[in-house]
Amino acid sequence: MQILKKIWQPAGRVVLAAVFVYAAWLKLKQPYLLFALSIDAYGLLPEWAVIGLARTLPWLELAIGLALLAPWKRVLRPALALATVVLGGFFAVMVFTYARGLSIDCGCFGLGDKLGPLSLLRDGALVALAGVLCWKSRD
Amino acid sequence: MTGAAALVARAQGAGAGKTRGVPMAAISIEVFSDFQCPACKMLHEQTLRQLVVDYVDRGKVYLRHREFPLPGHAFSRPAAQLATAAAKIGRYDRVADVLFARQDYWSRDGQVEAAVATVLSADEMKKVKQLALTPEVRNEIEADMREGEAQKLSQTPTMIITHKGRNYPIAGQVNYNILRRLLDQLLGQ
Repeated sequence: MQILKKIWQPAGRVVLAAVFVYAAWLKLKQPYLLFALSIDAYGLLPEWAVIGLARTLPWLELAIGLALLAPWKRVLRPALALATVVLGGFFAVMVFTYARGLSIDCGCFGLGDKLGPLSLLRDGALVALAGVLCWKSRD
Repeated sequence: MTGAAALVARAQGAGAGKTRGVPMAAISIEVFSDFQCPACKMLHEQTLRQLVVDYVDRGKVYLRHREFPLPGHAFSRPAAQLATAAAKIGRYDRVADVLFARQDYWSRDGQVEAAVATVLSADEMKKVKQLALTPEVRNEIEADMREGEAQKLSQTPTMIITHKGRNYPIAGQVNYNILRRLLDQLLGQ
């Protein structure tokens, strides 16, 4: 139990870091315009914003993922805060889009990752994890 | 299969009559769709028409239609059978156009043949109805569906863009401006 208490936060950060780096890698290994099509399918942003986001978001995900592995609190705390905000934003958009009844790919982890109860559950869990880790990092 | 053999197979194999453009084009696009699917109708009418003008008929993209009738759509398989049969007599485009244009009607009343008959002569319609019931047509649709399942399709429409041996799947409706930029980027490589 004591061991669990000691390791759950670092383990949680590693899980989050892996998720962010993996998501970034999937997007960066293909033309950014493919990711732009996924973002555009949500029907929420004008085209210029879709293109801008498609170009920059994967790099932000990569940076957050790597920062979550940093040993220094002054890097870790902002990384956790940013991870929580980014994941929270994704989750809110996904919930809103699902409520609109759109049948689209989530865009989170490539094709086949359909927006639905499973992807909502998964991303909701990640938001919760990021939020808790961010809160605990204040200790 | 070697590159050249694959190209010949592309041009001659099952699916002939449902393809358009130059088989040796730098980019090929396979479109998996369901005639009863509203998003497929939008893709067909808003995106593919322009794609044909801008890229397919200019030899830059080779386009192939594949059937993926979904289980929840009661009349999509008869529609796919009629369209695939029409492809055998060179009338696929015409039949696909009318099936999507009149989707709202036949998807409610099931009068798929009546919709198709509006764009074919009596003789052509007779041939298409006969061909639609042949094992060849049924097998072609089954082969399309197996290919779709192998590609892990989760919805229609799905386009599979192939360029230099790499596949780029795109599911759902597509913003044509962004698609155009993507194709130009790939062609520029």
